[in-house]
Amino acid sequence: MKHNRIMKLFEYGLTIWIIITLNFLLPRLLPGDPFLLLSSDNAENEEIVMTQEQRDYYESYYGLDKSMGEQYVTYIGQLIHGDLGYSIYYKVPVSQIILGRLGWTAFMVVSALAVSTGIGVLLGSVSAWYREKWPDKLLFFQMILLSEIPVFLIGLMILFVFSAWLRIFPLSGAMTPFEDYTSWWDQLSDILNHAFLPIMVLSISQMGGIYLLVRNSMTTVLQKDYLRTAKAKGLSQKRVIFHHALRNALLPVVTRIFLSLGALVGGAILVENVFAYPGLGRLMRECIQVHDYQVVQGIFLVVTIFVLLANFLADTVYKLLDPRVNDSGKV
Amino acid sequence: MIDEGQYLLEIKNFGVEYDCADPPVRAVDDINIKLAKNETLGIIGESGCGKSSFAMGIMGLLNQANVEGEVIYKGQNLNRLPEKEMRKYRWKEIALVFQNSLEVLNPVLTIGEQIGEPIKTHYHNSSAEIDVKVIELMKKVGLDPKWRQAYPHQLSGGMRQRVLVAMALSCNPELLIVDEPTTALDVISKNEILRMLQMLQKELGFTMVIISHDLGVIKKLTNRVMAMYCGRIIEKGLTSEVLRNPLHCYTRGLLNSSPNLFKYKDLWGIDGEPSSGISTNGCAFYPRCCQHEESCSHEKPSLEYVALEHMVACHKGGIETFLKAVNIRKTYKLKEMEIVAVKDVSMEIKSGEIVALVGESGSGKSTLAQVLAGVWKPDKGEAFFKKKKLEGHWETKMMGGMQIVFQDPFSATSQRMKVLDVVKEPLDIIKWGSRDDRDEAGIKALRAVQLPTASEFLDRYCHALSGGQRQRLAIARALVTRPKLLIADEVTSMLDPSTQANLLRKLKGLQNRQGFAMLYITHDLHLARKVADKVYVMYQGEIVEHGVSGDIFKNPEHIYTRQLMKESFRDMI
Repeated sequence: MKHNRIMKLFEYGLTIWIIITLNFLLPRLLPGDPFLLLSSDNAENEEIVMTQEQRDYYESYYGLDKSMGEQYVTYIGQLIHGDLGYSIYYKVPVSQIILGRLGWTAFMVVSALAVSTGIGVLLGSVSAWYREKWPDKLLFFQMILLSEIPVFLIGLMILFVFSAWLRIFPLSGAMTPFEDYTSWWDQLSDILNHAFLPIMVLSISQMGGIYLLVRNSMTTVLQKDYLRTAKAKGLSQKRVIFHHALRNALLPVVTRIFLSLGALVGGAILVENVFAYPGLGRLMRECIQVHDYQVVQGIFLVVTIFVLLANFLADTVYKLLDPRVNDSGKV
Repeated sequence: MIDEGQYLLEIKNFGVEYDCADPPVRAVDDINIKLAKNETLGIIGESGCGKSSFAMGIMGLLNQANVEGEVIYKGQNLNRLPEKEMRKYRWKEIALVFQNSLEVLNPVLTIGEQIGEPIKTHYHNSSAEIDVKVIELMKKVGLDPKWRQAYPHQLSGGMRQRVLVAMALSCNPELLIVDEPTTALDVISKNEILRMLQMLQKELGFTMVIISHDLGVIKKLTNRVMAMYCGRIIEKGLTSEVLRNPLHCYTRGLLNSSPNLFKYKDLWGIDGEPSSGISTNGCAFYPRCCQHEESCSHEKPSLEYVALEHMVACHKGGIETFLKAVNIRKTYKLKEMEIVAVKDVSMEIKSGEIVALVGESGSGKSTLAQVLAGVWKPDKGEAFFKKKKLEGHWETKMMGGMQIVFQDPFSATSQRMKVLDVVKEPLDIIKWGSRDDRDEAGIKALRAVQLPTASEFLDRYCHALSGGQRQRLAIARALVTRPKLLIADEVTSMLDPSTQANLLRKLKGLQNRQGFAMLYITHDLHLARKVADKVYVMYQGEIVEHGVSGDIFKNPEHIYTRQLMKESFRDMI
């Protein structure tokens, strides 16, 4: 038991180390360097070309003239102190930029997760209950269709329909700029108004997967002997479905939900860019364009840690839900 | 008799058809049962004969099947009752002990919750009351109450079976259906479960239907039993009677396949496989039956009384009687003296039965055999083969009739005849087929008794054969007409053990596959115990005891039988 836990910890440690290393290498493999576009707020109109001296100065200032090995050691050393580095482009500490943007992405991802899970589970259960009858056939077709459309395409279509054409929702951003809110309620409704479409798009992209999983898992569970037992006991239909069937059917879904966090973050990057939503995804795009290694590394690291955390949570929650996994056999 | 209204459960024209398959599979067909309070009914049959479908059908648990007929429980027809109404009967009135498997209990709920939840549903008790009740139930089935916090995967198979029983009893049902209560359990748990069920039934007084293919379970727990085949009841009666004296070839086949019935007997399964449930016109057992005739395939047999409280569905009224002898008496006159060799002997041999006639030398066994075979005329009494009186040797002058093999092979086979001529002699007499056919049949018969079939051997004269060979030759001659009944008088006495074993297995094979019957006369009780289904014990010209071999060998009643066995079984290796 104890041995297992140590192994697990070691596994997580190893994963983090590999990712940090990749994280360090990948931006440096990009062609070009951060000083090409430095100091120009808009790269296209006002390009400042630095002299070789200036570039050498900046490179040594940021330590980029050292060998890769030295840079790597420095990077790890900084990380151990919790220092994510200093943005070359924004000229503020990376942690500060990321913290400012993280909230928006987290808000969107968590909301989308909740919405897609809720709807996916409900529709999946309905489909399994009416398997091969018309509600199932209809839902199945719709969900397959929705989950196969790429997320940016859904995003664009929804943006055109609801914002540009119907003008129900704002086109971009997370809040109305320069707005004076009279109450917290006003502020909240403004935030929700802006977030609605991105969350919806992200939810739609995830829903299909959850729906299919629930439908499958529920169908299997509905044919199990213990469901016949439950029915034979004269329990109400509600109890049979929700207490006996769903609890078993949700087991694979729980793992899936946590594991889908990675995909959701990936989706969020696309959605944020479509809706110009000020989250980490948009920040990442900006920083890659200007080769701001420090920020890109920081974002990758934060995302990695979140996904690993989600994995860990999936394991933990699964153990709580399925007594068979805790196999010490003791009562 | 109990009058109509007092039955707890009455099932009329009950049928289950799985119509999701094409063509629809009829799992249960036309079942009628009346079950009084406190009764215990066993249902036996091979896997897939519809036992479980029947049980599920009563409870209305078959979603994808069409359930026909009436299930009248306390005057209320449960079939076609709306789901909501039906729920009130489930568990509270009729509960089920499901067949034990890991999947039968919900893996994510504790044992305690699963035992207690029907109480909550049906009686709306508080959690504390339910907990008390659960502890009580668990104690009743012999489980430590601390296990109620456990999950199903943490229990052993035996414990899970107890949980299933406790769960079934949680609402004090009046009718308990138990599906295979002891499959996959070790002997100790099995016996404990059986004792527990027996005790609980006595204590709580529920009516019980037990479904099992283990006849030991049925024997222990039930008063009445019915055998199911392809969804139909083919035999029904008192358990003790049906298990001792089955009247349907299928039930007898089930008994012959059961290792726990009589330890000395061989195991013989029923040949062939059950038809797939697609309804046929005739008797469903027809293709596998050892006494089938073409006429059986026209109509479904109905369940008819053949004896008191004993019903059989068979066109021939159950297992056929081949030989019936009534009060046979034979005396020899020796100058002034009159010796009664056979004294008023009655005997019955059924299709597919090996009847051993045992007794010491001079007890009259051979005389009886010769009278039955028509060699001697009895002084009194008569004998019948397939209900037709035996006279004028009609029964030996036919294919598929009756044959005798005499004790002394030297006088039974003429030493001046060639081997092949001896073997096919019976065929030559009745002029069966062509010459070549007869030669071929003769060679086949020789092969069956492990004699050489090279032409050199076939042309040998009988005086050139050894005693064992002469004896086998005599048997081959009897088998060449493919008799249904063979009277075999000490036929294996001159054979070495290996040839003897092979020959007897061959005859047992014929018996189980084709309904061959034999009157096996011997003084070797070891052999008799191994091969016989029924035993007649003869002493000084009288049958002193007869019955099912298991009973006679286990508990001989007559003092002579006891002595005979004591002497015989002294020389175990």
